Amino acid sequence: MYRLFISWRYFHSRRTNLIGVVGIFVAVGALIMILSIMTGFLDESRRNVRGSLSDVVVEPQFSEISTVSPSIFYPDVALGRIRADSRVRAASPRLAWYGILGFDGGYNNSIAGSSEFGDLMAVQLMGVDVLTDEKIFLKSLGRIYRDLFGLEPEFRLDDEFDTTDLRAALTSPPAESVVWIPRVRDPDHPFATPPGFSPEGRMPASVVVGEQLARNLNLQEGQPLTVTTAIRNPDSGEIEPCNREFVVGGTFRTKENEVDLGRIYLDRRELSDMLGGGKQYSEILVRLHDYDADGADVAESLKASLARVAPLDSAAGFRVRTWEEFRQTLLRAIENERVLMAIMLSLVVVVAGFTVFAILSMMVTEKRRDIGILCALGATHRGVMALFLMISVWDAIIGSVCGALAGIFAAINIDPIERALSETFGIQIFNRDVYLFDHIPSRVQPEAVAIIVAGTFLATVLFAAVPAWRAARLDPLEALRYE
Amino acid sequence: MDASTEAQLPGGESTAREPAAPRVHNGSQVVLRAHGIRKSFAVGDRQLEVLHGVDMHVEAREKLAIVGASGAGKSTLLHILGLLDRPTEGAVLLEGRDAWKLPADERALLRNRKIGFVFQFYHLLPELTAIENTVLPAMISNSPGAFRRKKREHYERAEQILTDFGLSKRLTHRPAQLSGGERQRVALARALFLDPIVIIADEPTGNLDSATGERVLELLFGEQEKRGFALLLVTHDDRLAAQCDRTLYMGDGQIEADTSVVVPD
Repeated sequence: MYRLFISWRYFHSRRTNLIGVVGIFVAVGALIMILSIMTGFLDESRRNVRGSLSDVVVEPQFSEISTVSPSIFYPDVALGRIRADSRVRAASPRLAWYGILGFDGGYNNSIAGSSEFGDLMAVQLMGVDVLTDEKIFLKSLGRIYRDLFGLEPEFRLDDEFDTTDLRAALTSPPAESVVWIPRVRDPDHPFATPPGFSPEGRMPASVVVGEQLARNLNLQEGQPLTVTTAIRNPDSGEIEPCNREFVVGGTFRTKENEVDLGRIYLDRRELSDMLGGGKQYSEILVRLHDYDADGADVAESLKASLARVAPLDSAAGFRVRTWEEFRQTLLRAIENERVLMAIMLSLVVVVAGFTVFAILSMMVTEKRRDIGILCALGATHRGVMALFLMISVWDAIIGSVCGALAGIFAAINIDPIERALSETFGIQIFNRDVYLFDHIPSRVQPEAVAIIVAGTFLATVLFAAVPAWRAARLDPLEALRYE
Repeated sequence: MDASTEAQLPGGESTAREPAAPRVHNGSQVVLRAHGIRKSFAVGDRQLEVLHGVDMHVEAREKLAIVGASGAGKSTLLHILGLLDRPTEGAVLLEGRDAWKLPADERALLRNRKIGFVFQFYHLLPELTAIENTVLPAMISNSPGAFRRKKREHYERAEQILTDFGLSKRLTHRPAQLSGGERQRVALARALFLDPIVIIADEPTGNLDSATGERVLELLFGEQEKRGFALLLVTHDDRLAAQCDRTLYMGDGQIEADTSVVVPD
């Protein structure tokens, strides 16, 4: 009984113990908060990357167009094979390319004249299929078939809306930090030229630009936009520049900064045409019914079934990767950061442990006489050791429980806390333009909290064991003579 | 010198004895016996012997004083008898059991249940109140559950003792808020809280003024009469020793005289 009673009395009557408690509080709180944020980063990155990528990515591999068989040059055969798999919900081709932006109004000059990153508007051109009209047509056709023949045929026309979150990006609300630039007028027809903006002559195709890119270039709806790129001439083999004028149809926001800052969506056929028809698609995105259950299996079976698409062409084939494999560099980097952060912050726990060690060592010296008295009254050496260990247990319980609560609270409310701190100190703590997200993501993992609290508890008691052992080894007589 | 062989109560008075006494000497019960106690300390390379084979005993309900000049070894003997310091040689028998041959935990339990200490400097725990200091022996010997079950009983008993000692208004005071005499009374209450068979008092008035010391002694002797514990009192005050039943005179690490021994003319 006395161990609990006296240790608690010693604990709360000595203010120096607060230092230990505060140390543990800070260590546990910081660990939980940082790890929750890092976990949130990882989650959010996965979600965003997956959102604009789909579950499985199939990339055709061929070296020279002239030698490529039509079965791989056009996506239809591969699409047929992919869609034949019952685990596949949708598959759609798209064509990715890179270009440099310019638009009427002199921006071309600044692009050419400045080497600053902000002015060098290299963008990713993403040609996608949005088959709204075709789908409507096929649906009507199906109805006619049903009325005429009594059965409705199954037409399969998967497009970008079925495989990625593009439609959500076309209708998502604007980021708080961004001045509102309208989204496309009709999300079902994102590449329709906005009414009232048709210039004379050839009608330029409409493109949808990333929200942050639009803000950086101060783009407006209906504004002409010149895209410059370079392609290899299949006859001469030389790389030649090519330009095409588009018109801004609206914006999109995926919440993935890299995409919102540097991507332009346009119709795949339009992009293919701009590139001279030499490229029809660069990847096929596949969305599964249940990625978590089937992801790896589907990727494997697609590898096998797609290997037979162009059996006579040894240089041609398909590369099949899950979205995680596709973006593994990014995901691994975040995971590594998370582990590194955890290791570094664990040092704070060690520092807190040392504080408890120092305070307890001081207390043992200070309480020599009390130790002697307790021994004279019948306390055992083990009992004295337990008494001093109990003090560290109080330190650990109070410090880690309060730290865990504070850490969880801070992790859950990190965004408002960051905003309040940024406003108070007039500095931007979290630059929303630099990171992938416009908010600080965080997810508290109960098992991580339990491990942190248990680990801190163990570390504190281990550090306290040395002075506690010393207390138990004290000669009670020597302690009693100490007057 | 074996004082115990010749020991008898002053005036040949025999006190009431409990049955099944472990050792009975001369019709009285011996509660504590020391046999051939030697104690030496290492000083540099050599051993310094401070007790040279002490034999003595304490009988039940006896007031025994150990008197001697500073450095005579009386405090060392007291610590050995109180099971706080291990003798280099010899045995200490508490109710017939060789205490230094017992495991440390059992010896600690003996210290808790059978022996009460009153120190010159009170030795109260400064963080605890008077009543908490008093119940401390019960806290030490009981598990949290057992103590909690009897907590009220313990506290009521402690309150009763402290009230009897005139400390009813000092129950929740900490040692720093008490006078020297009050502290020593709390120390006395703590020593007899578990009804030990022997109370070892090391110069209990040494740190008090004479009037306060008198009152504390009065209380100590009164409780001894009432409760019947054996009192082993270390002092260098002959007047105080005179109030005891028997006095052992120590000098140079051995017992030089025992007032119970009748020296022939």
